[in-house]
Amino acid sequence: MANDKSLGERLQSMPKASLYMILFAVASIPLFFPVKLPNKPIAPAVDFYATLMKLPTDKPVLIGTDWTVSTRGESGGQFEALLRILMERKIKFALYSVGDPQAPQVARDVVGRLNQERKAMGKEPYMRFRDWVSLGYYSNAEGELQVIASDVRRAFANRLDFPEGRPPTDVFQSPVLSGIHLVKDFPLLVVVTPSSTNTITIERIGDKVPMMQAVTGVMIPETNVYYASGQLKGMLGGIKGAYDIENLMDTGINFPGPDGKIAFPYEKYKEGVPPIHVGKIIGKGQAYFATLHYTMALLILAVIAGNVGMWLSRKGAK
Amino acid sequence: MSFLADLDPKSFYNAEPGSPRLYFMIFLTVVIGLGVIGVFMVAPIRMRRPIVSVVTFLAGLFWVLEFTWPKAIARGPLDKPNGFVEQVGFMLHDGVPAVADLANTVSSFLLGLGVYSLLRVHLRKVFKQQKDWSFSLVLVLSLLTMVAFGYVDWNMRLGVNGAKLDDPSQWGNWNYGKDLFFDGFLQQMDAAMFSMIAFFILSAAYRAFRMRSAEATILLGAAFLVLISSLGLIENIVNNWVMNTLAKGDGNSFWVNFKLTEISGWIKDTFQTSSIRGIEFGVGIGLLAMGLRIWLSLERTGGQA
Repeated sequence: MANDKSLGERLQSMPKASLYMILFAVASIPLFFPVKLPNKPIAPAVDFYATLMKLPTDKPVLIGTDWTVSTRGESGGQFEALLRILMERKIKFALYSVGDPQAPQVARDVVGRLNQERKAMGKEPYMRFRDWVSLGYYSNAEGELQVIASDVRRAFANRLDFPEGRPPTDVFQSPVLSGIHLVKDFPLLVVVTPSSTNTITIERIGDKVPMMQAVTGVMIPETNVYYASGQLKGMLGGIKGAYDIENLMDTGINFPGPDGKIAFPYEKYKEGVPPIHVGKIIGKGQAYFATLHYTMALLILAVIAGNVGMWLSRKGAK
Repeated sequence: MSFLADLDPKSFYNAEPGSPRLYFMIFLTVVIGLGVIGVFMVAPIRMRRPIVSVVTFLAGLFWVLEFTWPKAIARGPLDKPNGFVEQVGFMLHDGVPAVADLANTVSSFLLGLGVYSLLRVHLRKVFKQQKDWSFSLVLVLSLLTMVAFGYVDWNMRLGVNGAKLDDPSQWGNWNYGKDLFFDGFLQQMDAAMFSMIAFFILSAAYRAFRMRSAEATILLGAAFLVLISSLGLIENIVNNWVMNTLAKGDGNSFWVNFKLTEISGWIKDTFQTSSIRGIEFGVGIGLLAMGLRIWLSLERTGGQA
């Protein structure tokens, strides 16, 4: 009978249903109360933000988007922050996907949503074909990335996109790709992915163009290898990465605020990188960071409880 | 060097994007492709393995040569090859898009194959009213509904006013329907499935993560430090305590090394990164060996043809 169990045994055998109920409550309640928790952005995220803020505004950024809604908490937040920065700086961008057939639609939906947001704030929406293009989905990641590396014009040859008031038109007639002949003409390639396309992209294009990646939490260790070696100029990892970049958009790096105080001092960028104000919005990083805190705290408590239970049981047995 | 798809003016082998001729060529290609598959399926079993081996070898040979063959440096668009080595180099370089297109096409066949297989299994189940046939019916109906709404929506976007459909205020019933099925159902169910992992992770960590040995204790300690270092609130409290109490505000103090971020950074940079590099190096060598075996058709564990 359950009541005959010692405290140690009970701590070691909490019912699964109770654990699940607690997790459900801990994960969902904070979603209704987004709070701004203290946070210090880590080096890969700082480099990510600084690289984006130092980009020339006259060249487009190539973005590999392979995420779908299953990782929206992480990839969605990172992708939105990335696009908000590019839109605010009026940098054009081109989207392609090699990881998931659903990814282009998901990315286009985000652009649509951000445009609604811009309209609501009285800003000019980012026009398809004029300011950004969708290059579509390619089912063979290795082969397609190899072509992008060797001849970007042929990689996206015959791709059509939708200019307003005109029939579908070749993407290379778009102002976005007008000066692009080789992949190195892009000042930056950013890959937002929850899958192995991060390493495939490094293998195929890594030496051709400066690259940054935004990956999910579980991919941080493997991707950090490439950041540490300098193959990636910056990296965002998981919800923390999304929250980091949202924080940096508010504070800048080594940059004095209106009160003259530097909100985020950072040795590497002594010259300072300014914040970028995109309006009053709650990014996905901020919306989900509290949930990450509480669920991780629950995980730690559960592991501690299990180990204390084991220790008590062993002590009792002696 | 022009490959068939790049021929200008357009010829039998290529066509203008969106033209009826292109659709006819696609149709013809699909018919020929299915014909080749059909011939392959009725070929005697003894012939299949040599055919697969030859195709695999030729496909692999292209990429091996493309990777290893000397490449022209700073080649201009009008440059002509000088000698055999450059000629082959140019040819391989120019062939990459054509071969990749072929690979994309073959991969796309896999999507079609998946749909065919799904329909075959589940329609049989529905017609024979086998166990749980109602689930199969839901699956088939969902598939067909998504295809119908997706196709109509895509077709509407091909028109002159297609770009306007990026703005939801311009949508009609078909667009709303597609959005409901894609964003409202498929994407949300995808997210729901993925979120269930959290429950399994918690349950598994609670039951399995025990300090039963010295190794497990070290592992748990390292995981604990890295975990709490990603919690900004706790990290902030610990770091402030280290800086104010132990280091007495001195940024050059020895105690600064005991900030949570420094400890977790040391674990990640020193142990984690180097371990993963080692593992990936080993995996890479393994993949190379496996790739060679598949390329040379020495790998026969996938079943006999």
